[in-house]
Amino acid sequence: MKVIMESIDVHIGGVKILNNISLNVSKGEVVGLIGRNGAGKTTTLNTIMGLVRPSKGSIYLEIDGSKTDLRRLKPYEIARLGITMAPQGRYIFPDLTVLENLEVAYGGSPPEDVLKDIFTYFPELGKIIDRKGIHLSGGEQQMLAIARALVRNPKIILLDEPLEGLAPKIVVSVREIIRRIKAEGIGILITESGNIKRIQDLVDRVYGIDRGEIIYSGDVESIMKDLDVRRRIWGF
Amino acid sequence: MDINLFIVQLFNALFFASILFLISSGLSLIYGIMKILNLAHGALYMVGAYITFTVVILWLGLSWYSMVIAYIASIAVVASLGIYIERILLKPLYNKPQDLQLLLTFALIFILDDIVKMIWGAQYRAFPTIPGWSLSVGEYQIPVYFIATILIALGVALLLHWFFTKTIYGKMIRAISYSLETSAILGINTDKLFALSFALGAGLAGLAGGVAVPLYTASPGMGGDAIVLSFAVIVIGGMGSILGAFVGSLIVGLSRVFMAIIYPVFEIALIYIIMAIILMFRPTGLFGREMRERR
Repeated sequence: MKVIMESIDVHIGGVKILNNISLNVSKGEVVGLIGRNGAGKTTTLNTIMGLVRPSKGSIYLEIDGSKTDLRRLKPYEIARLGITMAPQGRYIFPDLTVLENLEVAYGGSPPEDVLKDIFTYFPELGKIIDRKGIHLSGGEQQMLAIARALVRNPKIILLDEPLEGLAPKIVVSVREIIRRIKAEGIGILITESGNIKRIQDLVDRVYGIDRGEIIYSGDVESIMKDLDVRRRIWGF
Repeated sequence: MDINLFIVQLFNALFFASILFLISSGLSLIYGIMKILNLAHGALYMVGAYITFTVVILWLGLSWYSMVIAYIASIAVVASLGIYIERILLKPLYNKPQDLQLLLTFALIFILDDIVKMIWGAQYRAFPTIPGWSLSVGEYQIPVYFIATILIALGVALLLHWFFTKTIYGKMIRAISYSLETSAILGINTDKLFALSFALGAGLAGLAGGVAVPLYTASPGMGGDAIVLSFAVIVIGGMGSILGAFVGSLIVGLSRVFMAIIYPVFEIALIYIIMAIILMFRPTGLFGREMRERR
């Protein structure tokens, strides 16, 4: 199972936001999308999820050689195909409890074994299932955002800046969760704008993005050695 | 004011508040979830009134039994009309500027008014009498119909509370009202829930029209007055909040009826003064929360 973007252009309000983006992520691998704020990372993820429609190019889901055109599908149809997303800012439903946030993502009351799996990943959430989203800490919100994306048993999950704004101790927990998700064979596309070292040991390969263009594709060690890419992404 | 008159006016006010709640809860529901200000909500209320009039007066005859059937018919017809409006007319405009949705719902007022005139004529359609008997309070009378209407409104409030807190569709609708896009990327069928929400809001308007018609004569354009006061209710109570619609209806209903006795020329002005004061101190209304973008 593989999500493939080919030569994608995206225009928003007449402005070209993504320019000829091509990338792919397969089940079982962790792929980083690195770029500074405003580079086009979130728009790339939103385009895969069908929240933003491309003006050119193709996006499809390949399963055993057969391709499904994602451009024709609505976001909820894409999610039901097995691609889900934990958005930047988490967007936890504030009036719903932890359990209700999971219920709406599952589409009903999740069976015991599904909840057990989720709370094995996130034992902290298991202790606060009746707490409303609005009363969760930043770390708890991030864990719930990832848990919601996992509850439908996705094959590929898009994590938009999952480590952003978290305390160092929580970053360690979330990184551990990402490792465990990968170990389950789920493909992950993860974005990072600040500190590449936070995801360096998590990813199998990375894309560098700047001003809506992919400027690097390869392993994570090499991106740090490419002076032009470093300058464009980190400014040094 | 003697105590008997006070009791009678209290029931008048609660009856009026009940009708307002049934209208404004639907209006608030549609706005809270879909961010659509449905100007045609009053016209849907009018259709509900005509359906109940037709079933009770033209078909079955006046009885409690026929009233119940008429309410169900009003809800079903107006909710179905709501689904058609949402799927066929509103859906193509979701990604367009909001002005277009406003214009469309504004145009629907006139379209529905004219359809009503074509089917039922332009004349007023009145019930010969209020259904049921009356209770004596001293020299005054309280129609049992008022009490039944208050109980219907309370029942609807409890049913809505149950729906939004206990059922998965209710919880999903609450999720959508917070963030449409986040709901969609989690796999929630936002299309289906939009249609369901609009149908539910429209059905409430239909029920409101059915409940109101024995007292407020059915006529083309009758939705105009109702919608203006309903906007005041949801601004006071808070856009998108059913509890806000409930409390806002009580505030508007009680203040209007009692002011009509105490100082009639100030009857309507008081409502808008209350609204202005609440807006000054709580711009989101008493129970509203800041509306997020459609993300």
